[in-house]
Amino acid sequence: MIGGRSTWVMTALLIAPVLVALALGGYEQRIMTLAGIYAIAVLGYQLIFGRLGALSLAQGCFLGIGAYVTGLAGVHLDWSFPASFLASLVVPAVIAGIVAIPVLRLESHYFALATLGISQIALLVGVNWTEVTGGANGLYGVPEIRIAGASLYSPEALLLMVWSALAVAVLAHGYLIKGRRAHRLTLLREAPEAAAASGIDIGASRLTLFVASAAFGGAAGALQAHSIGVVSPAVLEFQVMVTILAMTVIGGRGHPAAAILGAILLVHLPEWFRFLESHYLIAYGAALLLAIVLMPNGFVGRLEEWLGGADAGSPPAPDPDDTIGRKPARTGATLGLRDLRKSYGGVVAVDGVSLSVEPGEIVGLIGPNGSGKSTLINLVSGLQRPETGAVHLGNLDLSGRPPHERARAGLARTFQAPATVPGLAPLRTVLAACPATLDEPTAVTLARRCLERAGITDMAAGPSEGPSRARALDLARALASEPVILLLDEPAAGLTPNERDDLARCLKSLAKDGIGLLVVDHSMDFLLPLADRVVCLASGAVVAEGAPEEIARDPAAIAAYFGGPSP
Amino acid sequence: MSGLLLEIQALSVDRGGAKAVTRLDAALSGGEVLSIIGANGAGKSSLLRAILGLEEAVAGRVLMSGEDISTLKPRDRAARGIGFCPEGRRLFPGLTVEENLAVVFEGTGRARRARVEEMFDRFPALAGKRRDRAWSLSGGQQQMLTIARAIMNAPRLLLLDEPTLGLAPMIIAEVLGIVRAIAAEGTGVLMAEQNVVPALDVADRVLVLSRGSSAHAGAAADITAERIATLMLVGV
Amino acid sequence: MAEAIPQLLVNGIALGAAYALIALGFVLVINAVGAVNFAQGDLVMASGFAAVILAETLSAGFGDAVPALGLLVLPLTMLVMAGLGLLFSALAYAPLRGRPPVSIFISTIAVGLILHHAANAGFGPEPRIGPALLQADTLRFGSVVLSVQQIAVIGAAGLLIAGTGALLSRTQLGRRLRAVAQDPEIAEAMGINGARCVALTFMLAVALAGAAGALLSNQFFVAPGDGGLFMLKAYIAVTLGGWGRLDGAALAALLIGVFEVMMAAYVSYVAAEALLYGGLLLVLFFRPSGLLGETIQRRT
Repeated sequence: MIGGRSTWVMTALLIAPVLVALALGGYEQRIMTLAGIYAIAVLGYQLIFGRLGALSLAQGCFLGIGAYVTGLAGVHLDWSFPASFLASLVVPAVIAGIVAIPVLRLESHYFALATLGISQIALLVGVNWTEVTGGANGLYGVPEIRIAGASLYSPEALLLMVWSALAVAVLAHGYLIKGRRAHRLTLLREAPEAAAASGIDIGASRLTLFVASAAFGGAAGALQAHSIGVVSPAVLEFQVMVTILAMTVIGGRGHPAAAILGAILLVHLPEWFRFLESHYLIAYGAALLLAIVLMPNGFVGRLEEWLGGADAGSPPAPDPDDTIGRKPARTGATLGLRDLRKSYGGVVAVDGVSLSVEPGEIVGLIGPNGSGKSTLINLVSGLQRPETGAVHLGNLDLSGRPPHERARAGLARTFQAPATVPGLAPLRTVLAACPATLDEPTAVTLARRCLERAGITDMAAGPSEGPSRARALDLARALASEPVILLLDEPAAGLTPNERDDLARCLKSLAKDGIGLLVVDHSMDFLLPLADRVVCLASGAVVAEGAPEEIARDPAAIAAYFGGPSP
Repeated sequence: MSGLLLEIQALSVDRGGAKAVTRLDAALSGGEVLSIIGANGAGKSSLLRAILGLEEAVAGRVLMSGEDISTLKPRDRAARGIGFCPEGRRLFPGLTVEENLAVVFEGTGRARRARVEEMFDRFPALAGKRRDRAWSLSGGQQQMLTIARAIMNAPRLLLLDEPTLGLAPMIIAEVLGIVRAIAAEGTGVLMAEQNVVPALDVADRVLVLSRGSSAHAGAAADITAERIATLMLVGV
Repeated sequence: MAEAIPQLLVNGIALGAAYALIALGFVLVINAVGAVNFAQGDLVMASGFAAVILAETLSAGFGDAVPALGLLVLPLTMLVMAGLGLLFSALAYAPLRGRPPVSIFISTIAVGLILHHAANAGFGPEPRIGPALLQADTLRFGSVVLSVQQIAVIGAAGLLIAGTGALLSRTQLGRRLRAVAQDPEIAEAMGINGARCVALTFMLAVALAGAAGALLSNQFFVAPGDGGLFMLKAYIAVTLGGWGRLDGAALAALLIGVFEVMMAAYVSYVAAEALLYGGLLLVLFFRPSGLLGETIQRRT
C-alpha cells in the first residue's frame, strides 16, 4: 500500500482541490468536478498504459460506455443510483473482458488499432442507434444521484461526490498495484520472459488490468452523466481519449498523484489559456508535444524519486526465520529430458536429446554455436515447444506447460542476455520473482538472501554497472522462485577470471544445498573445475558425455568444434 | 608510420555490458587473409563490428594505413575503403539482387551500371537471379551477394563475419575461392569464423579468440585444425 | 439505377486513389522509422486548406489568366507540404530517436492536434471547397455521364502513385530510402546516410498526403475535423493490406474507397463504416498479418 511521504501527498491532493473549488465557487466547482471525473479515468488508464506499457485507445470509449449505461439505466429503466453505477462499472468491464482475449495478444501497433476500432464502433452505435441511445441528440434527463434518500444535485454536492469517488478509486488503484504486485508488473512490462520464468502469469495479469481499467473508465463516465444530466455522443468521441492520454503523458504514468495532477492541469489549461482565445487548443497540442519530448515520464515522473514511487514504503523488518533462502523450500527432484526434437524451417536445431540432472548435481552443457544449446534450454524452460519428446521434473510431466507454471513447479533459469529493468532497484526486482503466496516479511528475507548468495551486497544502487552485476541480479531473480532445478544460459560470458571464480563458488554452494544445475557454456575452462558431468552437443545431438577431463580430450567433442556442416 | 593496412591496438569492446573483447592487438597487410577463429561469444563479431564502428570500443585504437579511425562514424569508415559482410548476411530483403548491388555504389549511374555488370560476370550464379528479391535466394547465393555487395566500391579492407555459416561444403569451397581471389587482388581480408577447417584453409595467418582474448596467433601453416578445435573446446 | 453504377465506380476509385496516396505516405513512415504517424490525416486536412489558400492567392494575383489553375495548385501544394514534412520530422521524430515507438505515436498525435486546432483557429469550422483540377464539367459516354473532375483525380493520383513507385524502384535515391527502411544499421555500414534518407522519406510521405488533400478538397470539401477519419482509413488500409507493404496498402486503400462509395449509395454510410471497422477487427483477430501478409522486415 502507499505509505509514508506518499500518503501525505495523496491526502493533500484529494482535499486541497476540493477546498479551493469550494472557496472559489461557481464555475471553478464545475471544472474541478470534471477534473475529478477525468482523474478516475486516468487512474484506470495508468493501469494499462503505465503499468503494462500497452497503448490502448479505448479508455475514452469505456468512459463513454459507462456514461451511456448510466443514462439508459436512469432514463429508460428507472434504476436507482447504486444499481446504475454498478452497471456502469460492470458493462465496460465485461466488454473489455470479451475483447481482451483476441486483443491483448496483439503487438502494440495492432493493439492500438484494435482498441481504436472498438471505440469507433461504439461511437457509431451511439450516434446511430437512435431508439436506444437517442442518436445524435443523446439522452436527456439523467436522474440525480440519490443516496440514502438525499438528492445530490447542487454543484457542491456533485463536487464532493466525485472527489469522494476519486478517493475510493485511489484506494482501489493502490490495492491493485499493492506491494509486490507493482514490482511484478514492472518486471512483466520490461522483461516479460524473465517474468514468465519467475512464475508470473502474464496473460492473467494483463486481463485483470485491462478489465479493471475499463471499470475505472465506466465509473468516470457514470459520474460524468450525472454531473451534466445529459449523455451525448460527444462522450464517445476520440477527443476524450486524447484528453485522457494527454493527462497521463503530462502528469505521469505511474503514481496516482500524477493522475490527479494531470487531470487538474489539463482541465484548467483552457481556462488559463483563454487569453489566447481560439488559439488555446493549439497550446494544448504544443504542451503535449513538449511533454513527450522533454518529460517522457511526466511531471510526476520527476517527482517519483522523491515520492518513492506508488509502491514505496520501507520493507518491514526481515523475519528471523533462518531457513528461508538458506535451505531449499522443497525436496529435490530430477530433471529428465527424453528425446527432445525441434526444427525450424527444415533445419534441425535439437535432434533427439536425452539427459538428466540429479538434485545436487552440476551438469555442464557445451557445444559450438548452432549446436542447439540455447534452443534446448528454451525447450526445457517452456519458451519453445518441442515437436516430440518430454520434460519431466521428478514425477511431474512439464510437457506443454507454459513457462510460468514450470517456474512455480521448481524450474528456474537465467538468460544469456539478462534484461535490465530500469527504475526497479535490485531488491524489488527479486521481490517480484518471489512466490506470491509468501507474506511480505518472508518475501523480503528471501529476496535479501538470494541477492547475498548471488553476490550482490549493495542493494540500493541501480541495475548494471557491468555484466557481472546484471548476471548476478538475474541469478538472484532465478533463485527467488525457490527452484529445485536451475538452468544457467552462458552465465560466465563476459566475466573477468576473478568474477568467473566467484560465480563458480556460488554455483558449487547452490549444488551443495541440493539444487540441480544445468550450466551452458561454449568452452570447457569454466566447467572443468565445476561440473560433475559434461554433455557435448553438436548439430543438435549429444556427441559425448562424461567427466569433464574426459570430454576435454574426447575426439568427438574436438571434432564438434571443427564447426561446419555435420560430416 | 607503418605500411600496415589495418592495426588494432589494445582494443576492448563491451557488448550488452559484458566484456566481449579485452585489450586485443592484431595487424593485417594488404593482400593478406587473417582468420579470427573462435566459438560464439568469443568476441569475433564484436571485434569486426568495432573495426567498422557499429560497436563502440571502450578502449584502444583502430588504425587504417596509419590513420586513427577510432572516432569516425561507420559511414565514414566505410568511405575510407572498408567492405563488410555481416553475420547472417543482412541483405536488404525487399530489394532485388541487382538493387542490393546498386544501392551501395558511390558514383555516377553509368559507372554504377558497369560495375554491377562486372559483378554479374564475376558471380555468374547471381546473374540469373538479378531481378529476384534477396530474401528468395538460397543460402549460398545470399552469401555470394553479400560478398559482391561488399566489394562494389573496391574496398582496401574486407571484413567477413562467419561467411560459411549454414552453407554446404561445395558452396563453402566456392566462397573461399572468391575470398582468395579478392585477397590476390591486393585487398586485405579479415575473416571471423567458427568453422575451423575452411578458415584455416584460406588463411595466411590465424588468431584464435577465446573469451575476448587471443589464445594463439601465428601463421596458418604452423597450426593444425585439431589444435585449434582443442583450444576452442578447452578455452584459455 | 443502372447509369449510376459507372459514376459510382468512378467516384469510388477516385476516393480510393486519394486514400491510396494517404496510405502510401503512412507506410513510408512506418517502414522508415518503425512508428505510426498519427498526424497523417491532419496533414491531409492541412494540405486541403493549403490548396484552398494557394488557389485563392493565384487567382487573386493572376486572375483567370492562369489556365488550369487546379493543375498548378496540385504540385505547389505538394511542394509546400514537402517543406512541412521536413519540419514535421524535426519536431515529432528527430527529438525522439531511440525512444520506444509509443513516444512517436504520442508526438504525432500532438502535432495532429496542433494542426487541427490551428486550422480551426485560422479558417473556422465550416468546410471550404478546394480548387478543381480542370474546369470542365461532365463527359458523356452514350447514356452514361461522368464527372471530369473525378476522372482527373484518378489520373492525377494514378500518376503520383506510379511516380512514387518509379522513384522507389528505379532511382538510386529510391533504392536508398528502401534500404534504410529495411535495415538502417547495415545501410549505414555501407556508407548510406540514414538520417538524410529518413528526412527525405518524411518529405515524400507528407507530399503524398498533400496531393491527397488537394485532390479531395474539391468534391469532399475540407474542414478542420477531417483528419481523424483519414488517419483511421489509412491505418486500416495498411493493416488490411499487410503491415509495411506499399502495394498492399495502396490496394487496400483503393478497395476501401470503392467499398465506401458503393455501400453508402446502396445501403448507408453508417453501414459502410460499421462493416469497415467490423472487418478490421475480424482481420486483426484472425489474421493480424493482414490479407497479403506482413513484410519480412519487422521492427520491434
